[in-house]
Amino acid sequence: MTMTQKQRILDVIAGKEVDKLPFGARIDVWYNYHAAHDSLPAKYKGWSQTDIIADQGAAAQKRHFSICKEEYHDMEVIKRQDPPYEVTEFITPLGTCSISLLWSVAEGPWLAYEHQKLFKRPEDYPIVKYILEHTVPVFDEQYTKEREDMGERGIVMTGTGLWGPSQRVMREIMGYELFYNEYMDRPEKVDELMEAMMNLERKKLDIAIKSDIEIINLCANWSDDIHTPVFKQYFTPWFREANAKIHEASKFSMVHADGEMRRLIPLFPDALIDVAEAVTPAPQTKCTMTEFRRMGDHVTLWGGIPSIMFEPYVTNDEFDEFIKGLFKEMKPGYRLIVGMGDNLPVAADINRVGRVVELIEKYGRLPIE
Amino acid sequence: MSDCSNLVEKVIEGDWKEIGKLTQDEIDCGTKPEEIISQLQHGMEVVGEKYSTGEYFLPDMMKSARCMSLAFEVLKPVVEGGSFGKLGKVVIGTVKSDMHDIGKNIVTGFLKGVGFEVIDLGADVSEDRFAEEVMRHQPDILGLSSLLTTTMHQIGVVIKKLEETGLRSRVKVIAGGAPVTQKFALSMGADAYAEDGGEAVKICKQLVKQS
Repeated sequence: MTMTQKQRILDVIAGKEVDKLPFGARIDVWYNYHAAHDSLPAKYKGWSQTDIIADQGAAAQKRHFSICKEEYHDMEVIKRQDPPYEVTEFITPLGTCSISLLWSVAEGPWLAYEHQKLFKRPEDYPIVKYILEHTVPVFDEQYTKEREDMGERGIVMTGTGLWGPSQRVMREIMGYELFYNEYMDRPEKVDELMEAMMNLERKKLDIAIKSDIEIINLCANWSDDIHTPVFKQYFTPWFREANAKIHEASKFSMVHADGEMRRLIPLFPDALIDVAEAVTPAPQTKCTMTEFRRMGDHVTLWGGIPSIMFEPYVTNDEFDEFIKGLFKEMKPGYRLIVGMGDNLPVAADINRVGRVVELIEKYGRLPIE
Repeated sequence: MSDCSNLVEKVIEGDWKEIGKLTQDEIDCGTKPEEIISQLQHGMEVVGEKYSTGEYFLPDMMKSARCMSLAFEVLKPVVEGGSFGKLGKVVIGTVKSDMHDIGKNIVTGFLKGVGFEVIDLGADVSEDRFAEEVMRHQPDILGLSSLLTTTMHQIGVVIKKLEETGLRSRVKVIAGGAPVTQKFALSMGADAYAEDGGEAVKICKQLVKQS
């Protein structure tokens, strides 16, 4: 019986031998833009992104923000449109905080950017902490629908959320610069917020572990100049705690690692993470795939093709040579899932997805010699 | 008079707590403000080099930038015109539809720290606004940042706008950001590409010499 796309991916992550390199492709940036601008190739007008990827012969990866939805208790939450922004106010007994989001799905991105963060000044500490302590996660039924739609054609990429607890505080709640200013000036307050976020994310992890999800995304969007200084303090303990539970449940953990990673790679083994997804080598970052391999023999690398290799300024010959070079560099090819770092760009030719599939058939049979 | 070595060391170490007092001490013992500024800026250049080589991280740069800011607060009343930007003028911003500003802010911090006057337009800046601000401020350099494959082509749109409005020959353009490579930046019509904030300092100095 032929192995399905999903099974090939799961087998690689489990360390089993498979026939050829899996290719888990991600095209939502390209798809969202062209669907919104009615500029999808004629053949694909009206198709879903998973159908298009399947037609190109690859496994699909479809993003779903979190396996949980958040419900807010003992506070009033008011959402209003202030175009182009969506503003959400959290009115608590301790005061009010608001977050302003910019959605630009029609231009490609699949998620909102925080135009104004929830935390803006030291006076916001007790309010944000209250919000976190009174947020209750519940299972998101939409995930089940996405999973059924996907079937054996690929993986719905999700988990407790896109970001782990410390990354949520750093990136989503405060923003990196304000975080580091607070870390310098009020470290004990930062720790309190981290702990409150950790407690919320623990509840989400419990929900994820009880669900049928096989690979649980734990974090995303690192850059080694930003995250390395606090990785051991804030990230490693959470990963070790989460992975102990995830592995006990015979599931796998994953992080989305599409940034500059060189100085974070030595910290990976202690984190016990199973899959580093969207790994992005040079020329888009400074790292080579050989360096990524040093994350650990147990880590499955999912990625290897920087988004910019799909740009039209890279010729077809240059593209082919890059892919062949990737396979050669990664031989014998175990614990590798070919993928994008991290997406198909708007200007790309979708047929390069199919070209990767052809090159795998020719050069990506395992073991690669 | 002193060689300000203590101040330079504090900037490199990012030890901001006593920098204000130490700066005042230098002024009080007769060191010329220009000399103090020059030494502080030298310290920031060292920080830029350490950032580029991977020895330093974002918080190191932020601590040093905080040192510079606190020292400049003390120096402001004694510096003629209150201006510290002598190396050249840079207008900088993140291109349209891109809300990411951390990379641009790092570059801005380094450029200001070493003595450039920097006009920061923020994020999500349209090509029309870039052209207007180049016209208004007459900078030596325009810095364009993009963090997304969906927005990096906007670098070319801005440069085209500068050409259409007759401004291109008046300003050097430097581009950077996660998906941007030297090859891509030059293909969009930029004069230069910088991989990080420390490198941006070196390249902007070279561009100013050329202009």
